[in-house]
Amino acid sequence: MWRYIARRLLQMIPTLIGVMVITFVLFNVVGGSPALMTLGPHVSPRALEDFDEQRGFNKPLLWGWWARTRALADQDFARQAGAWRQVPGAEFTPPAGLRLPGRAAYVVPLAFALRPDTAYRLTLRYRAAAPAGQPAAEVLLRGAVLQSLPGAADGAAARLDFRTGAQTGATDLVIRVTAGALELRAAQLRRGMANPFDSQFAFYLRQLARLDFGVSSSLNQPVTRLLRQGVGPSLMLTVPIFCGQLAVALLLALVCAYYRDRWPDRVLVVAAVGLMSINYLVWIVAGQYVLAYRWGWFPVWGFASWRHLLLPVLVGVVSGVGVDLRFYRTILLDELYKDYVRTAYAKGLSPAGVLFKHVLRNALIPIVTNVVIALPFLYTGSLLLESFFGIPGLGYLGVNAINSSDVDVVRALVFIGAGLFMVANLLTDLCYAWLDPRVRLE
Amino acid sequence: MNDGLPDVEESPAGAEPVAGRSLWGEAWQQLRGQRRVRACLWIVGVFTAAALYGEVVYRWHRYRDVTPAYQQSNLAAQYLPPSFLRHPWAGAPADGSAGHRFLAGCRRLAQHPLGTDGLGRDVGQRLLQGARIAFQVGIVTSLIAIPIGLLLGCLAGYFGGRTDDAIVWLYSTCASIPGLLFILAIALVAGKGLLGVYLGIGLTTWVGLCRLIRGEVLKHKPQAYVLAARALGLGPGRILFRHILPNVFHLVIVAFTLRFPAAIGTEVFMSFLGIGVQGEPSWGVMIANARLRLWQGVWWELAFVTLAIFLVVLAFNLLGDALRDALDPRLRTREV
Repeated sequence: MWRYIARRLLQMIPTLIGVMVITFVLFNVVGGSPALMTLGPHVSPRALEDFDEQRGFNKPLLWGWWARTRALADQDFARQAGAWRQVPGAEFTPPAGLRLPGRAAYVVPLAFALRPDTAYRLTLRYRAAAPAGQPAAEVLLRGAVLQSLPGAADGAAARLDFRTGAQTGATDLVIRVTAGALELRAAQLRRGMANPFDSQFAFYLRQLARLDFGVSSSLNQPVTRLLRQGVGPSLMLTVPIFCGQLAVALLLALVCAYYRDRWPDRVLVVAAVGLMSINYLVWIVAGQYVLAYRWGWFPVWGFASWRHLLLPVLVGVVSGVGVDLRFYRTILLDELYKDYVRTAYAKGLSPAGVLFKHVLRNALIPIVTNVVIALPFLYTGSLLLESFFGIPGLGYLGVNAINSSDVDVVRALVFIGAGLFMVANLLTDLCYAWLDPRVRLE
Repeated sequence: MNDGLPDVEESPAGAEPVAGRSLWGEAWQQLRGQRRVRACLWIVGVFTAAALYGEVVYRWHRYRDVTPAYQQSNLAAQYLPPSFLRHPWAGAPADGSAGHRFLAGCRRLAQHPLGTDGLGRDVGQRLLQGARIAFQVGIVTSLIAIPIGLLLGCLAGYFGGRTDDAIVWLYSTCASIPGLLFILAIALVAGKGLLGVYLGIGLTTWVGLCRLIRGEVLKHKPQAYVLAARALGLGPGRILFRHILPNVFHLVIVAFTLRFPAAIGTEVFMSFLGIGVQGEPSWGVMIANARLRLWQGVWWELAFVTLAIFLVVLAFNLLGDALRDALDPRLRTREV
């Protein structure tokens, strides 16, 4: 048994890695900029950079020496000039580029001050005419010449590596054009990384290792604390739903099996299909309106006393019972046609005795599997029920997080949900192995 | 469907060969006889027609570049109940002959047969547009999920080894992420709108089919007809897609029928939350709007949407069960 457990635990590792990779790919790689998604396009680059800094999004994806910085957005002057439009004296002529006329200095439009004591790399593509032996332009940092740009034909690239000093202001990087004019085609600024493996992925792994799921951007609180606060109400809602659903569905399935192919069975099957086909939303909306508002049987909204939980629990049980009833009925009927049941009848046992003592026990294995595998879904509660009835659980948190594009919260919910599912899967397999020794030997 | 090979075990030597009927032919015979299935097919047909009509109306308005009537608010006709509840002569002009008044009343009754919502928009028209979107979601998500599940399942089952390991790893990873949260996360990343709905549902619901197909291909691989095809020197692609695939294709049909209502339900849910359809009347959006007006006693919008969803989902569920019974005798849910 121990060897089996150890083997199953080892098998969980690739899945865990898979979940980490999928959540990483989803939110870091294909997601575009989470900062823009959350804060919107009308925020200063400084705020975006702070957001990224807090969540590790301003590092290279997997590894690399250079990372993007929002101090200067990458600019291709064939179409747009971006922040460079504000540079006094610069002339923007779309297909040709940005023209900086001669004998003048131009401040590079940095959105905020560069970091102290950090390596940066400024890459320029330009065209400049200059007398032989003389530089066309110079790039200065706090008055000191970093590098001079020689005269060049179209599309020459210059790469300027520099280190910022103890403090560098937003206006300290200057391009001085000495002769003729400088026509910029493209410009980009990269921040050097001290450690090339200090990446987004490493940041994410470190976070997970510390079980720290970041900070909610809409509520400005650590996600871990929000999750801790939400678990209680969620369980208060979902545990009764879960138990009620199980009890009702199992009881009705037994009724179906007992009266199989007679009218109680038929009526229940039709009712189950009907229940399955009514949309979940409708149960909630109609239940809230009719039972709570019109007839006043339950409180409409809130989380003050146990009475507030009655209606959501009722709605949850009713909306889920159809699927379960059909499932349990199929399992029970499968069992009813086996040889041992015929033997039991042949011995003269009563139908109820056969059903409860023999069939139910054997049918319990698939039923237990179904129950255990549904356990992890308890934790998110029901996304809709909670937000409708104002129960401050994880489902409520999740819906709000999705509406406000709160990446960290959604990612934490997804990750924890997957983790719980894997644990539940392990438990089911262990149950199986415990009940059926053949599984262990496979 | 066994590639035309005679079913040796079933017909004893010397017996008259039974007139061959394919699995599909037999299934169709079996299905056609059931009244319930015929009713379901009618509902699905009407739903398809409604969706196509909605699509034509939508395209026409876009082509003409005008705001369609179901989007324009018309405060004069606010909260109009469905016509079977309206008094035909209410608000009719007092003058004119009785016949004239009768005709005017009839015209008014024909105007908004299912009533109007809080902005005076026709509920019936919006319902048709909702059908269009539900249909689109069902089809497009199937077009994403079914090819992925089919291809990966075939490859995993046929090639085994490393390929199998990789694909099993992929689907067990995807299966371990809670479905609804996964869908919502993808939609969050893809942005609000129909694209997020398509990708969210399409990229998460291929796992079940993949698992089924893989198991089925594993079962078919050692069978005689596959060995024969291999002995003839056919390549794996041909064996897989010309010989094995037709034998497992009924699973795809059943999967399609059963995932359609699930996709519709998820779309309604997402649109209701506000991350689905934007600026168009989908059933989820309609429920969200109707919910607020329910408190003012405007029940018909919610009632008609509920009825529409109920009928379509019920029809697809029953049809899926019947198809499964007819095409896959091992998975019978009826007459156990």
